[in-house]
Amino acid sequence: MSSNSPETSRRASNRRGIARLGTRLDSDSLNASKLDSRAALYRYYLCPLSNGTPGDGTLERPWPSLADVLRDIGRRHGGDAPSVGKLAGYDRVEICAINGPGDEPPPGKKPRYAFYVDPLGTSDEEGGGTALAPWPDLEAALAGVARLDAAGGLPLQIGEHLRLSVREVFSATPIDRRKRRHETVAKSVFLLMTLLLVIPLIAILAHLTVKAWPVLTASFVFENPKNNMTAGGVWAPLVGTFYLVFFSLLAAAPIGVLAGVYLNEYARDNWFTRIVNLAVVNLAGVPSIVHALFGVGAFVLFAGMGESVLAAAFTLAVMTLPVIITSTKEALASVPMAFREACWNMGASRWQTIRTIVLPNSISGILTGVILQVSRAAGETAPILFTGAAFFVNVPNKGLGYFFPYALDKSCMALSYHLHVMLTQVKGASPEQIAAGEGIPLEHLQYGTAVVLIGLVLAVNSVSIGLRVYLRSHKKW
Amino acid sequence: MSSIPASDAGKPREVSAMHRLAARLRSVPELAIEVLIRLCGYSAIFFVFAIFFFVLREGAPMLFGHMNLWSFFTSTDWNPVGEPPRYGILALLSGTIAVTAFSMLIAVPLGLGAAVYVSEFSSPKIKEILKITIEMLAAIPSIVWGFIAYMTLNPLIIQLTDAPIGLNVLNAGIILALMSVPVIVSVGEDALKAVPDSYREAALALGASRWEIVYRVLFPAAKNGLLAAVLLGVGRAIGETMAVLMASGHANQIPATLLDPVQTLTATIAAELGETNQGGDHYRVLFVIGILLFAIAFVVNLTADLVVKGIRGKQNV
Repeated sequence: MSSNSPETSRRASNRRGIARLGTRLDSDSLNASKLDSRAALYRYYLCPLSNGTPGDGTLERPWPSLADVLRDIGRRHGGDAPSVGKLAGYDRVEICAINGPGDEPPPGKKPRYAFYVDPLGTSDEEGGGTALAPWPDLEAALAGVARLDAAGGLPLQIGEHLRLSVREVFSATPIDRRKRRHETVAKSVFLLMTLLLVIPLIAILAHLTVKAWPVLTASFVFENPKNNMTAGGVWAPLVGTFYLVFFSLLAAAPIGVLAGVYLNEYARDNWFTRIVNLAVVNLAGVPSIVHALFGVGAFVLFAGMGESVLAAAFTLAVMTLPVIITSTKEALASVPMAFREACWNMGASRWQTIRTIVLPNSISGILTGVILQVSRAAGETAPILFTGAAFFVNVPNKGLGYFFPYALDKSCMALSYHLHVMLTQVKGASPEQIAAGEGIPLEHLQYGTAVVLIGLVLAVNSVSIGLRVYLRSHKKW
Repeated sequence: MSSIPASDAGKPREVSAMHRLAARLRSVPELAIEVLIRLCGYSAIFFVFAIFFFVLREGAPMLFGHMNLWSFFTSTDWNPVGEPPRYGILALLSGTIAVTAFSMLIAVPLGLGAAVYVSEFSSPKIKEILKITIEMLAAIPSIVWGFIAYMTLNPLIIQLTDAPIGLNVLNAGIILALMSVPVIVSVGEDALKAVPDSYREAALALGASRWEIVYRVLFPAAKNGLLAAVLLGVGRAIGETMAVLMASGHANQIPATLLDPVQTLTATIAAELGETNQGGDHYRVLFVIGILLFAIAFVVNLTADLVVKGIRGKQNV
């Protein structure tokens, strides 16, 4: 923290001030009236040159002497004064010596003398009114100041002033209050920022659902697209997405879980492990369209799979591998080391320990990651664009083919790509078709597809989140 | 070692040759599984190299062949079907930069602010709810974001700004901001969580308010992690494809205002690869762009990692 920030320097000077309070003050930058308006400041004026003209302590009609001012203060703020004038909290009274009526002294000057009143203070009435020995109440303070004045100890030059401050120890200081105010503001701003993220999510979900409502029926989900995709539902794309997710999971889950096991159980803390970890992070950061290019180069062309379910699924598998690796690693890391040590002490080997102790204790955490992979894979479009997603596949409407419509070496429809197609390439049903009951308005189809996709992804995600919450509440250690 | 009985102390253990053989045989599956685990562990490295290799393999004949790298980077003329075809990606690059920069302008304050709120100000229950919400935000597929940009934000922008088309930098920036915010929040929150509690306690003991703790103690202590969060957000924004393809308007020009439609690197590949002949110049140029994107993502991620862990891999917090 830089030492010249205003806050720090103010604190430092405040500390310095405390050491000298009650005596002549040379430096005191704590100007409370600037910090907090709720600390009242009462100002009285005295003019030694006014030759005894009585006044009322205002700037226009100053009192001739300090004793008059003190009497006036006692009357206005003392024991029987109305509650308005009562001094409390951090209120202050200032007595300024001026040249003549209406002659405002320059602002911001430090007091020549400073005295303190502390209702909770323990010092006796004979105390000097210093910060360390404050007077217990206003009467004692006025008497004390008057005594000092009578002894000739308080000569006030023109333009100088005397300050009497109330200090109630357990009331919030102006600095405290300002801090609390800042904290409230900061908290509100941060809350607002967070809400700006939450609100769009709710708005989007609500908007999509409302727009898609007319078409959201069971038949929309379980019917195949028909009439050049101007009617029917999303069954074929939905099954295609299941195909892709299933095969990508089949490829990614074993590799990902074992890689997580390696990173958490076998890898030593050295530069090579660092590179492996870096590779995982990088794999997660590669743009999805580059994964698509990789899929084209490696699976479609090099491995000779052509545009097929398998090529697309493998591309998705590579893309989602880091999700599984990372979450497996975290799940394994949450198993306490003592479990492993106990097992090793029984004479079990490393793999025996992992198989019988570590994996069973972290299986739900690993599943969380696997399910997360499913949701990622189901939603991705770019990687399957050129590796196996089809514009339209004519699939059987009944029999076994209804449930298993695709061949692994041919391309398939997929829900995410279907949404892209519906949005950019399909011309909707004509009004005549809709009137004849042969078509569904394009917008309904689009919103319906979007809602089915987002519903699928969020449902899978909720399972993952639910599993995690359940896991945390049922932790055995 | 006082627990070992005295009678066993001096004697060597007798292990027969049979026992040793049996132990070795038992360990064969163990060794096999260990090799398998190690191979899977290295798979991430393998795939990163494989991605680079296979994308380069398709792009190389063009990259090291008759491509003019200078005009590739400095010309705004992207006309791959023209005669002769022209491959200048400056406008595409500027589109990517404009969209990413604008989205970060929104996403970084919101993301870091939300990270601070979630990590420092919210009660445990609210925190859990917010984290789940932000996970949900992250789970929305990019094509659905594109759908929202196209169907909802597009008419909204036209209505509010009188722009002729609502698919532009503004639209893509908003969508990308919402897409990359979850990364920033979760990585940023991790960074704040990694600051030891003793820091917070020390500041509290000195009389600091929570806001003062955040900006005097946590920000300086977690600045590397927060920077990494921002970098990962940038990486996410640069690499996003489908949403940007539909939100950005796909017009090859250097944007002058927020309301100009642009075309980005990722969207260009997604839109054009399907129309090219495999092995043709246009096809290979798109792979060269892929290499560029891979390199950018690699540098961003590497930088984020180095920022968090330092050169020697020590946690900086």
